[in-house]
Amino acid sequence: MWDAIVVGGGLAGWTAGIRAAQRGKKVLIVTEGVGTLYYFSGIFDYGDVAGLRHFPKHPYSLFDAETIDRGKQFIKELCPEYIENNKSRHALTVLGTVRQGDLMPRSMVLPDRQEQGIFVLLVPEGLKDFFPEIVVSNMAREFPGWQVKVKRVHAEILGEWERIGKSASGIDYAAIWRSKEGQNLLAQEIETIKREQQGAGSKSERIAVVLPSLVSEYFDASRTKIYGKDYSLPVIEMSSFIPSPHGRYFAEYLKHQFTDLGGELMIGARAAALTGEPVSDKQPKSCQEIIVHSMGKVLHLKAKKFILATGGLLGGGIKVGIERKSIHEDVFDLPLFVPQEWSASRFFAPQPFAQIGVETDNCLRPLDTNQGQVIWDNVHVVGRMLAHWDPWTQRCGGGVSVTSGCAAAEII
Amino acid sequence: MDVRNELTARLDACQKCNVCTAQCPVAKVNPHFPGPKGLGPDMERFRRGQFIPGETTLDDCSNCKTCEVTCPSGVKITEMILDARRAARKGPHKTMPGVKLRLRGYVLGRAEYLGKLGVLWPGMANQALKLNLVRWALEKGLGISQKGPLPAYGKPLEVIEDKAGRAGVTSGKQVVYFPGCYTRYNEGETGRIMIKVLEHIGYKTIVPNFHCCGLPLEANGQFDKARKNGLYNLELMRPYLEAGVPVIASCTSCGLTLKEDYPKLSASAAQMIGAQTYDLFEFLWLLYEKGELPLDFQQVNASFGYHLPCHLKAQGIGTPALRILRLIPGVKIRNLDAGCCGVSGSYGFKAEKYDKAMKIGSPLFEAVNVGVEQGDFQEMLTECGVCKVQIQHGTSIPTEHPLRILAKAYNIIHE
Ligand SMILES: Cc1cc2nc3c(=O)[nH]c(=O)nc-3n(C[C@H](O)[C@H](O)[C@H](O)COP(=O)(O)OP(=O)(O)OC[C@H]3O[C@@H](n4cnc5c(N)ncnc54)[C@H](O)[C@@H]3O)c2cc1C
Ligand code: SF4
Ligand code: SF4
Ligand code: SF4
Repeated sequence: MWDAIVVGGGLAGWTAGIRAAQRGKKVLIVTEGVGTLYYFSGIFDYGDVAGLRHFPKHPYSLFDAETIDRGKQFIKELCPEYIENNKSRHALTVLGTVRQGDLMPRSMVLPDRQEQGIFVLLVPEGLKDFFPEIVVSNMAREFPGWQVKVKRVHAEILGEWERIGKSASGIDYAAIWRSKEGQNLLAQEIETIKREQQGAGSKSERIAVVLPSLVSEYFDASRTKIYGKDYSLPVIEMSSFIPSPHGRYFAEYLKHQFTDLGGELMIGARAAALTGEPVSDKQPKSCQEIIVHSMGKVLHLKAKKFILATGGLLGGGIKVGIERKSIHEDVFDLPLFVPQEWSASRFFAPQPFAQIGVETDNCLRPLDTNQGQVIWDNVHVVGRMLAHWDPWTQRCGGGVSVTSGCAAAEII
Repeated sequence: MDVRNELTARLDACQKCNVCTAQCPVAKVNPHFPGPKGLGPDMERFRRGQFIPGETTLDDCSNCKTCEVTCPSGVKITEMILDARRAARKGPHKTMPGVKLRLRGYVLGRAEYLGKLGVLWPGMANQALKLNLVRWALEKGLGISQKGPLPAYGKPLEVIEDKAGRAGVTSGKQVVYFPGCYTRYNEGETGRIMIKVLEHIGYKTIVPNFHCCGLPLEANGQFDKARKNGLYNLELMRPYLEAGVPVIASCTSCGLTLKEDYPKLSASAAQMIGAQTYDLFEFLWLLYEKGELPLDFQQVNASFGYHLPCHLKAQGIGTPALRILRLIPGVKIRNLDAGCCGVSGSYGFKAEKYDKAMKIGSPLFEAVNVGVEQGDFQEMLTECGVCKVQIQHGTSIPTEHPLRILAKAYNIIHE
């Protein structure tokens, strides 16, 4: 019997699992895949927390300010490289535009736009979906006081790729920058840049090197050698794009944190149903076990608490029938909040479709959409699966997932 | 939904996010390999238009299934790749591997055949495999890498017939053991220990005279022979399956084949095999949950690193060996979770792939070395015999089947 079974290994599920394991609970995470973490930019979007907390039914409205802070604290303890915005901070996208960074790695933080200086954009040869010309023109527009220069960098290890004209992904490059050879190469390149700039007489100016696909966070010293180098110039990481190197290394890191705490992970397994009984004649019922499809057979897994973190429409937790005639939550068959217009032609307009999800009480327990009563006493819903929020327009995806994941773990 | 429709649904589920390719160990080291997205969902569309481009690259997929467990959309990628390989063998655009490659496919695919040869004269075979000259000849003659580790041969595991006459009629509890070629011919000792452990927990073990499960044949392109082996083995198991006797596998790749491929064969036993096959520790955990696993453990004061073989990960049952071993007082164990060892069945034994296989395995080797250097553990554990050989080859750290730790705790073995 597990203290808790978490269904879904995305940001919300990992957060819940790790926090609960930190609290000494016996936790099992059952997940089909790795979730949307591979889309993660490296920055936790929190959005306008104070404003959204007063938005009717928004997930933030379920929590007090301390709970939301506790989530941030959790991330900062897990990844000490993360810092928070007491003043407004910004990071570069891979397009060279500027995006807000709420909880972000220190090495992504951009200098002040009012200052003056020189950016040297290091362009890795053959990096897929990276367009230096666009980046340069965007950066020049965003930072009028800064000069933007380009320097290409060639990693011999990818020579074979280059020769056959194949591009390398950001994940391939991140692996190189994290290796000893990659670190040495970067250190050399940066030293060269410094000498060139000094030669050109720009001694007094600020110089910063900008590099895409650099991930200097989430190192796990118990499994990897860390070749930290002090570069002779400051280096700024760009945030990630799909398939995201930040997401990849973060997902790996979360997995190791969880299993090192004694957590058990079942990957490649799909939860399909639950069985449970009413505690008494009336609601709420209590869930005893979930039914999980492993290869070749069906498993019945028992726990005291269940956390549903299956990621809504994109994560696979909500299934839409043919021609959108039906829509349902796939594991517990929970009632969904579905806006009236959801199947209208404006389906992909941001608002209605994003709001689909499960309504809960303050303890994240699923509610009956009509009567507003708690349905399952020991089931808690977290992350994208929650109703009444929109990660795109409200820009609070990471914030809601971390906050709800942490909060659910505290009540296990 | 019939199988084809199911596949269509999965195909359409592909969101082109490239996450699978980003995680594929072969794509990481081999630029010529199009990666799972390229080979699976993308090419599947061409195939359906009956257009098959030169698909020799299909053979580079090591069938480690990393792509499949990573895909956020549940696309059955390796199924598409395997289907395509079958089609490529048959189709008009048949890829024609040279004689040497075909012969190599034949030898590596027949772990069983090699095994039988090896155990006739284990000492001699081991000596011969260690001889550089012989390895050189294997590489030149068959394209089997001379640098790669080849498993050694020992005293084979004996067949244990069911003496009770009809299956399932014995009074006591029994299990059928599917040892697989590796345990049978290379590591009979592991099989014998397992039988003793099962006896200790109250089960009698039957070991019918199985053939190779078929996975190595499949991986080396011999689909027809693989299917025949499957049918033969299923027929041996049928009476036991009908009597509700569990089938236990100690090799993770055999276990996966029994659970994933056998249910697709056309035989009555195919309906039962998936649900009745258990990885050894999966079975023990089930007993533990029912309160039927004896917990008379002796203290074992040791720390271990653990490598989860890809083909166990793909079974979707987690890490039951860790759950069981953590019940033993004194045992500390860490799941390194640092990716595939690189061998993927017989992939890494092929000469042109040796260096790539070592590169695939390097994060795992690094994790092992870092752990040992920091004094976190002194030994490695893993269920897959091939991973074991590869980890020892890549790190020189002693590596064992987790079963041995359990056997020590039960006081069945002492060293
Ligand atoms: C393209 C994109 C980019 C984003 N970028 C950012 C960003 O830069 N910063 C930020 O803060 N937020 C970002 N977000 C938003 C944020 O990542 C999401 O809010 C968050 O990832 C949702 O996490 P989740 O854990 O709820 O769901 P998911 O990440 O979707 O995870 C769901 C998990 O459940 C599993 N699953 C589903 N059904 C089952 C089942 N039946 N059985 C077993 N397992 C199942 C899936 O395999 C998956 O692992 C982004 C989102 C998207 C889509
Ligand atoms: S198969 Fe899955 S992981 Fe690969 S591109 Fe398609 S959706 Fe992405
Ligand atoms: S099975 Fe393994 S080698 Fe084959 S495509 Fe998938 S990840 Fe790559
Ligand atoms: S040899 Fe082991 S790690 Fe490597 S593919 Fe096989 S099962 Fe996976």
